[in-house]
Amino acid sequence: MGLVASRGGKQKKGNVTSEQEEEEQPLQAVLVADSFNRRFFPISKDQPRALLPLGNVAMIDYTLEFLTSTGVQETFVFCCWMSNKIKDHLLKSKWCRPTSPNVVHIITSDLYRSLGDVLRDVDAKNLVRNDFILVYGDVVSNIDVSQALQEHRHRRKVDKNISVMTMVFKESSPGHKSRCEEDDVIVAMDSKSKRVLHYQKTQGLKKLQFPMNIFQHGSDEFEIRHDLLDCHISICSPQVAELFTDNFDYQTRNDFVRGILVNEEILGNQIHLYVTQDGYGARVSNLQMYDSVSSDMVRRWVYPLTPEANFTDQQGQGCTHSRHNVYRGAEVSLGHGSQMEENVLIGRDTSIGANCHISNSVIGNNCTIGDNVVLDRAHMWNNVHISSNVEIHQSVVCDGAVVKEAVRLNKQCVLAYNVVIGPNLSLPEGTVVSMHHPEEEEEDDDDEFLSDDQEVGHSKDKTRQKAFNPAEVGPEGKGYIWKASMNDTEDEELAQCLWGLVLNPDPESDSESEASEESQDRSRSVSPEIDDVNAFQLEVLGTLQRGLEENIVCDNLVLEINSLKYAYNITLKEVMQILTRVVLEYPFQQQGTQLTTLQYTGSLLPLLKTWSPVFKNYIKRAQDHLDCLSAVEELFLEQDTHQTAMVKVLMKMYQLEILEEEAILKWFSTGATNDKSRQLRKNQGLQKFIQWLKEAEDESSEEGE
Amino acid sequence: MPGADKEADLTERIEAFLADLKRGGCGTGPIRGSGETARETTALLRKVTAQARWSSAGDLMEIIRKEGRRMTAAQPSETTVGNMVLRVLKIIREEYARSRGSSEETDQQESLHKLLTSGGLSDENFRQHYVHLKANVIEAINELLTELEGTTDNIAMQALEHIHSNEVIMTVGRSRTVEAFLKDAARKRKFHVIVAECAPFCQGHEMATNLSKASIETTVIADAAIFAVMSRVNKVIIGTQTVLANGGLRAVNGTHTVALAARHHSTPLIVCAPMFKLSPQFPNEEDTFHKFVSPHEVLPFTEGEILSKVNVHCPVFDYVPPELITLFISNIGGNAPSYIYRLMSELYHPEDHDL
Repeated sequence: MGLVASRGGKQKKGNVTSEQEEEEQPLQAVLVADSFNRRFFPISKDQPRALLPLGNVAMIDYTLEFLTSTGVQETFVFCCWMSNKIKDHLLKSKWCRPTSPNVVHIITSDLYRSLGDVLRDVDAKNLVRNDFILVYGDVVSNIDVSQALQEHRHRRKVDKNISVMTMVFKESSPGHKSRCEEDDVIVAMDSKSKRVLHYQKTQGLKKLQFPMNIFQHGSDEFEIRHDLLDCHISICSPQVAELFTDNFDYQTRNDFVRGILVNEEILGNQIHLYVTQDGYGARVSNLQMYDSVSSDMVRRWVYPLTPEANFTDQQGQGCTHSRHNVYRGAEVSLGHGSQMEENVLIGRDTSIGANCHISNSVIGNNCTIGDNVVLDRAHMWNNVHISSNVEIHQSVVCDGAVVKEAVRLNKQCVLAYNVVIGPNLSLPEGTVVSMHHPEEEEEDDDDEFLSDDQEVGHSKDKTRQKAFNPAEVGPEGKGYIWKASMNDTEDEELAQCLWGLVLNPDPESDSESEASEESQDRSRSVSPEIDDVNAFQLEVLGTLQRGLEENIVCDNLVLEINSLKYAYNITLKEVMQILTRVVLEYPFQQQGTQLTTLQYTGSLLPLLKTWSPVFKNYIKRAQDHLDCLSAVEELFLEQDTHQTAMVKVLMKMYQLEILEEEAILKWFSTGATNDKSRQLRKNQGLQKFIQWLKEAEDESSEEGE
Repeated sequence: MPGADKEADLTERIEAFLADLKRGGCGTGPIRGSGETARETTALLRKVTAQARWSSAGDLMEIIRKEGRRMTAAQPSETTVGNMVLRVLKIIREEYARSRGSSEETDQQESLHKLLTSGGLSDENFRQHYVHLKANVIEAINELLTELEGTTDNIAMQALEHIHSNEVIMTVGRSRTVEAFLKDAARKRKFHVIVAECAPFCQGHEMATNLSKASIETTVIADAAIFAVMSRVNKVIIGTQTVLANGGLRAVNGTHTVALAARHHSTPLIVCAPMFKLSPQFPNEEDTFHKFVSPHEVLPFTEGEILSKVNVHCPVFDYVPPELITLFISNIGGNAPSYIYRLMSELYHPEDHDL
């Protein structure tokens, strides 16, 4: 933890802000137009994620529109990957017109590697003066955050800047299709103050742990919620940027939130949340989310950000909306007998052949689609050519891709830019095809691939032994399969990266797998316990050995055993049993198992005397005595040749006042549970010892009278 | 340069207005009433007239048309914007004609003979420059603004002619005009109002609260009970979003139900609609006719899994055919639906109908 006290920096800037705070400040926003991961990888190699079209509009436009409609007047757009493309896009858009109510500043640098770097730069350049909104360039939302903003400001006024961040969440129950498993969080919060007490991503976790201290903050009502969808919209105070600077190891917002919560005591900062019930907000963090956000948008959940609203104000982008959520751009031609069933968006200048069935799909501008084509949940971007008799299910087809005759794309296929597929081919589920070779180095620049359609590109490829495989992409196909050349684990990873976790998981199989995982979990959770006990036993043995060799005081031995107890998470009862066992086995350990009973007792009894303080430390309550006795019994049941020694051991322990007579008597009368232990109790020596004990007791009681 | 400054300021205001229109109406109907939208549009057009650079009426009309197209495209369902643009265009035509010396009346009466002989578009080209045109146009727009200010009052003033004592009146949803109308009548008469709640937005609740505050006896009913209750109702008084060129209505969802129920029970249906809601649009222009908002109110987004299995739609408007309507009450008096075409030709110039 790079936790440096940030008082100095805060005070320095604090003066400046307090002076300005009085006057009304324009609302600012920081938009991070980079995801800093490779979720969209083969696609985002050609186009940054923020510019990928969602409903034929670049994602960053949704984010900017959201910011503008909430009243943001100044936005800083931070770009890293392909920053030039984003810059070009923004300069052409309505956001950079002089009349735009939201002034957009574009800041590019190749050095940003994470959200943390961006915010550190925000701090270094001193860009924000007041509370600002932090979003990613792929957030689609129509939430009115002004309420959240007001609450945030109010809190900051009342609590003297303790609250540094307000995160915006949307209520949506688990299993909602717009919830992405990667982003599932569990949040513990104070229901009155809306303060976040605990924040944890639940992906891949079967067990959740809450630190106890979150429940001891003195508030009387807590909520632990799993029904929240993280909108990735946060209202931050300028301190957030400073905190990122101070803690150079914060990379993501997750780091930050957890850091703040863990160090709440030290820094005194708090995080709050705002839960909205109406309004829509989601981040397109993988293709699964892309699919569901796109369909939500077409189904008008994001109203007024609907396709026909043309909020980007671009010429010719307008389209009309008719029943069953069918949107048509200008100059769309539809062949005879073609049906647009429902939730279909078709961009301008697209022509569709005869007898096509299109449902739940988005088709970009300038596409041509042949006859008898079936499209279901397809996302086709611009300039795509689809020949006749093609079937596409739930797949993404990027700009310029060509799908030839009679090709079938099964679920979750991705055809990246300019790929050609077919004819007569069926791509299996989850196939990713790109013009970039999977093994191609980053340095291999896109330039040669831009000219792929030309012969030069081909010959070059062939010389490099990277010819397209006709079995994979069809006889006329162009492109490389991204999965085939990788081994299985990576393969899974890639599928995960693109589509997120399994879409529409079959509930039964899911529960089964969960169950099996749980059982695995259980077996795992048992085995380490045994390991712990064994290790503890060895450690105790070692400790005692050293104690003897180096003549260590018993108090220190106790101390050491106690610390071992905590290290291995051993209960007190187990400590006692193990200790007894170790001591009793000690002679065997040192001198081999072939000892005679006489030799054994001879070496053991002095040891008992030496370590009696250790025993006394652990054996205090009546139950402890019984436990100790049962441990002794257990050992002698195992070592049945030495059973006669047991009496002597018990005698010695009685004399050393480790064990009390009552406990021994009780053990003798009640402890027998099976034949063996009953046999043990019939041992003559033991009978005599007990007899003697009883008499001694009678005597003492008589004496007492 | 002050001129450039002014122009920048003007475009900024237009952009802001457009953005407002686009975001307007997040489900529960427009943020402001259509009366306010009409006034704002007119005020903005006055600003355009005053500040834009133009030398002749033709230029000005071109500018207004251009801006008007953008404004109507921003929120096609908000027809008052387009109506106001048409009104202003008509004003410019009239003022130009007056400056030229020809009287309005002759221009107005387009006989069949004249139509046949005119040949193509109108022979005027609006190219002549008149010094006072600008001032005259602005003055006429100001008059229009004063007229707009008074519309609700003008309609409310007629209330006593239509509402009698101890009547039972039904209304649906919330209309500012109807609210004023009923409140005005309540000053002198005692009557009972039944408000259909108008799900899913339930503006009827708000309406009922406002009416009961004015000590009018009010009952809220579910939309499903409209037909059952209709037999007890003496009169149905509703507002509307738009009056279409054929005399039909585009009104809030549920109005059609009310109108049909009223027809079945032969209950008179009165529509309170100010003149600025008259639109030259016909109901068959389906592209912009409907407005679907976020289905959130119908089935909350929090529902979870069911959302991926069903399609949820949340339309905002109903079309009510003219034959179901008994009377329109506008700020200039009562009219039958069949008379709407006449009002339309008085208000708007036929050449302007499509911008």
